[in-house]
Amino acid sequence: MSVASPARTARPARIDFSQPVLIAFAAVLCVLIALPLSWLVYFGFTDRTGAFTLENFGRLLADPAFVEPLLITLVIAISVGVICCLVAAPMGWLVARTDMPFRRTVRMLVMASFVTPPFLGAVAWELLAAPNSGLLNQAYRALTGASPDRHLFDIYSLPGLIFVIACYTMPYVFVLVSNALDRIPGDLEDASAILGGRTADTARRVTIPLVLPAVLAGALVAFLQAMTLFGSPAILAIPAGFHTMTTKIWSLFHYPPKPELAAAASLPLLLLTVVLLRAEHAILGRRGYSVVGGRQSDPRLVRLGALKWLALAFCFVLLLNPIFLPYGALLNAAFSRVASQVLSPGNFTLHNIEFVFFELSATKLALKNTFLLGVSAATIGTVFALVIGYVTARKAVTHWRALEFLATAPVAIPGIVLGVGLFLSYSRAPFILYGTLWILLIAFVTISLPAAYQQLQSAFRSVHSELEDASRILGATRLRALAGITAPLLRTGVIATWCFIFVGVIRELSAAIMLFTSETKVVSVLIFDLNESGDLAAISVLGIMMLVITFAVVILANRIPGFSGGVRLRDA
Amino acid sequence: MRRRGLSRRDVLKGSTAIAASVFASPIAAAAPEPSSITPALIEAARKEGKIVWYTSVDLPVAEKIARAFEVKFSGVAARVERSGAERVFQRIGQEYGSRIHAVDVVNSSDAAHFIVWKRDGWLAPFVPEDVARHYPPEHKDPDGTFATWRAWLSVIGYNTKLVKPEEAPKSFADLLDPKWVGKIVKAHPSYSGTILTATYQMARDLGWDYFEKLAKQRVMQVQSSADPPKKLALGERAIMADGNEYNLFLLKESGQPVEIVYPTEGTPLIVGPNGVFRDAPNPNAARLFQSWMFTNEAQQLMVEIGGLRSFHALVKEKPGRKPLREIKLMKDDPVAVERESEAIKARYTQYFRV
Amino acid sequence: MASVELQGLTKRFGALAVVDDVSLRVDHGLLMCLLGPSGCGKTTTLRLVAGFIEPSAGKIRVGERTVSTPGRTLPPEQRNMSMIFQSYALWPHMTVAENIVYGLRLRKVDRETIANKLAAILATTRLAALIDRYPGELSGGQQQRVALARAMIVEPETLLLDEPLSNLDANLREEMRFEVRRLHDQYRYTSIYVTHDQAEAMTTADLIAVMNAGKIEQVGTPEDVYDRPQSEFVARFIGSSNILKGRNLDDFRIEFAGIPLRCVGIKLAPGAATSVSIRQHDIRFIAAPAETAENVLSGKILRQVFLGGSRDYMVELSNGTQLRVVAPAGENIAPGTSVWLHLPAERCRALAR
Repeated sequence: MSVASPARTARPARIDFSQPVLIAFAAVLCVLIALPLSWLVYFGFTDRTGAFTLENFGRLLADPAFVEPLLITLVIAISVGVICCLVAAPMGWLVARTDMPFRRTVRMLVMASFVTPPFLGAVAWELLAAPNSGLLNQAYRALTGASPDRHLFDIYSLPGLIFVIACYTMPYVFVLVSNALDRIPGDLEDASAILGGRTADTARRVTIPLVLPAVLAGALVAFLQAMTLFGSPAILAIPAGFHTMTTKIWSLFHYPPKPELAAAASLPLLLLTVVLLRAEHAILGRRGYSVVGGRQSDPRLVRLGALKWLALAFCFVLLLNPIFLPYGALLNAAFSRVASQVLSPGNFTLHNIEFVFFELSATKLALKNTFLLGVSAATIGTVFALVIGYVTARKAVTHWRALEFLATAPVAIPGIVLGVGLFLSYSRAPFILYGTLWILLIAFVTISLPAAYQQLQSAFRSVHSELEDASRILGATRLRALAGITAPLLRTGVIATWCFIFVGVIRELSAAIMLFTSETKVVSVLIFDLNESGDLAAISVLGIMMLVITFAVVILANRIPGFSGGVRLRDA
Repeated sequence: MRRRGLSRRDVLKGSTAIAASVFASPIAAAAPEPSSITPALIEAARKEGKIVWYTSVDLPVAEKIARAFEVKFSGVAARVERSGAERVFQRIGQEYGSRIHAVDVVNSSDAAHFIVWKRDGWLAPFVPEDVARHYPPEHKDPDGTFATWRAWLSVIGYNTKLVKPEEAPKSFADLLDPKWVGKIVKAHPSYSGTILTATYQMARDLGWDYFEKLAKQRVMQVQSSADPPKKLALGERAIMADGNEYNLFLLKESGQPVEIVYPTEGTPLIVGPNGVFRDAPNPNAARLFQSWMFTNEAQQLMVEIGGLRSFHALVKEKPGRKPLREIKLMKDDPVAVERESEAIKARYTQYFRV
Repeated sequence: MASVELQGLTKRFGALAVVDDVSLRVDHGLLMCLLGPSGCGKTTTLRLVAGFIEPSAGKIRVGERTVSTPGRTLPPEQRNMSMIFQSYALWPHMTVAENIVYGLRLRKVDRETIANKLAAILATTRLAALIDRYPGELSGGQQQRVALARAMIVEPETLLLDEPLSNLDANLREEMRFEVRRLHDQYRYTSIYVTHDQAEAMTTADLIAVMNAGKIEQVGTPEDVYDRPQSEFVARFIGSSNILKGRNLDDFRIEFAGIPLRCVGIKLAPGAATSVSIRQHDIRFIAAPAETAENVLSGKILRQVFLGGSRDYMVELSNGTQLRVVAPAGENIAPGTSVWLHLPAERCRALAR
């Protein structure tokens, strides 16, 4: 090919770096995801001498100490899925499609429960609903004069655990449902109305069928969240005397560690997640029209009349559970001499704050690590998501589907499983990263990639590809077009993605718990350690600080126009 | 995960039969000369600037000791890495397996760990002056790699608001009374070295059927031995079946409604040695810390503010606390704990389901 | 300026050949229209020329340069082309002026030249008043002119236009057709213009290439493709002709509905089947002939529609074939009436395909 004779105004030929850059990204992605998974599979199917065996799975299935956690986990996941739909779907409808007052406030509060670390919620609910010392149970006894043996709630129980997990999983369903409702064009409902459909007919025949896929998808997401959650079960299930799959996997790493069993126990979790995500994809994929954007009329709001105050009360009562009560309990504990007593002049102390910030020698390091990891994971994750989102949205390389698969695959890897896989991968030659922040960085980037990718990819889709083509045909290279045209148009999406990775990282526990060392401790692990020795007041102080940082970042993200809360955060 | 760690344990199983006692190694004693705190050592420690102490002692106690050290030797920061002894052990094994040498000085509530670390050659022989002069021989390693820094008991406790003294249990056997169903909190031997050690002694002296019956009392299962006393103080449970005596001292002395019971069958004694790691990243600061930790001053401080017990000859017990010699103790046996820890944890999990 | 030449150009997506062995030459300064229904591969052909996609087979030459072959494709930014997109693709974060001068900036043209060229193109496209607006603040026609200005200011060797008028409403579209042609006459860039609109192609093009199912059916001047279609597809697609299928009698006649039909166009092979096209307005109603004559058929009016200037009839012939006939409005024949039709031989074109 002769490129030797540029015509009059042609720019000098330049090398296009985009192809090598893209190949490099794909290679890194492969290593990031394929390596830990292959070690998991290898360990799951080999014995200690490295010979192939199915014995690990045989041991799991034969031992009730493994079968029981699996069943309990399924019970939890199904219950949480059902509860979340029953609670969050009506709330999503009230907020998206009715004239209920304070709809924005309700949305904001759900958002707040979205970003609250679930393990922190679990600790707060210990303070509230421990059968004897729980504030709610104390209040119950004080109000009814019941004997000291009686209690209203027992958070250290299977229903208690299901309740707490549901509290912090509900927002996932809420966001999916309310977003779907936001995107159903008012036209569709108007069309039903003009044909004679009353409000109820329209709801039954048009609105509900349209939003049903989102509800089902929400149920699946809730199921997955509940199944893969580590923090809350570790805090609540062990005192209650049972294990879930995640805590069981974790306990397999206690001395003497049984990595082959941990790997074998991780694989069913991984498999189930993959199957469920395929199901979600099938549900949403076939009925994708329900969430199609585009030019549309605003939805008509259903007039609730006097019922609207009842609806508001319903929302606020629901929000008591993930927000008001737990936050109150944490604040109370942070300033109390005894965490189980209501704050009073006699009980007030600043000692806990002094302890956390001046005596606890791990605080400073954990904060530094968390901040460092948050910033770098958010930056690297955003860049990754940006590049991969670009490649797949623009189909810029032939094997873009493979890249898309790799970028979304971590969704199917529960945090604790990823932790096990990463530990197996990076604690041996040639990659000895265990003990450094790098291994945590890899974990956090991997975990945040799917959500970041989905968000940025849809942002890319909203920027018409012809905008880039126009720049290229006028003489810009692919990278130049990306930098000069696409990047400025994507700015809000990029900043929002960055903030959400950051928030997701500082609340991540399940992978971190497998990967930290004393030098690489993060705040979430510090909180978990403090819970082990029962230092609830210190947890409250650290937790409140975490929440303050989180909200600062979320508010920053929300100040950016065009940002909506439809981001999936991972479990912690 | 390191298969190395596994095989080490496997090898151990066969070889521990010859070991007699943790402090009486069959190998000829070869402890180095005692070292005192010299200005040169302090200067070298200041150059390193910090020391990392892995410990399982209750966090506020650990941090107070560390702060006292920092006040005494300004310019050397002492960082506490606190978690349950079994997790400390697992962590060090995991870190050393990946050639990560982060720990300078270690303190564990499971004395058996020191047998393993010493055998693996991970501990540095180093004898502080005070250990040589003031410690009984049964509380120091003949090879000078560790010595008992602290001792305490795993006791029964109760909340005085919820249980009248006359109704309180007097013995472990009393805990099996149906009236305590759902009212007991206890810690877990897979996390806590204190509880592992105590579980060994109790299973030996009382039989495993005690635990089998106790498991039917619907106990609240927490992890660290520091947690049951705190659950008592919160009023979350009326009785604790095991847990740290020193936490109860501290809570009681700060006015919390808790009381200690020394069971009639005998109380498990726990010793928590301190040792310096051979590959300590801050070797001089580690030696300075180790030396200071065994001084009369530090030991007295540990007793006063930590509620712990010391074997330092010059340390005085705090008035109001029951002196150790008046308490009927169960005999500690780290070698046996080391040998049986895996079996103990497995059997415990079988009864208590977690 | 250079010619653009496609040689055996093929693009497959999987097993499907979207562009199938297309060969085409666009000479210096000509405006070639790729005309065809949606999905015929015309936009893919254009994007192949632009270099956004790589051919599966064949090559593209611009002047002396080979710019695309399978495996070696010059990236679009090095082709010195311009393109006008269906969506206009104006960058919403840049003003009109910034949009227009973007290509010059990339070419590191000095400030003064940029200003001069901008002034010139603004005058030509009548956009001077709008330079500080953002694209979102412009009407469709204004956006269209900005897109034109942006594409032309860089003085490309080749200008590519992808359905540039399809987003405009009918009146504006008609106006802009002439605008495009006027600008082309002024600058004379070698241009390739993709459209599915026959009238647009007729107005703007020097040459029209009719595409169907990835292949070029016919290339010619607007008159050529309209008056002398070579295939059934072209005949139907351009001006929707009637198609009559019959068996060849001799070199110039086919037998249709029992009547010999004399045609022009190609020499017929006796005995073979041939399609013949005739435009709706070339068919005439005549009085009943005395005897069977060539090119005279009988039929019955099925329905008629009054179109103002003319009437549109549907006539069913004795063999069941339906013909559309456009006749002057003054003549009003009621449905059900039996009629005779004359199909002038010089208007009956025998089709090669």
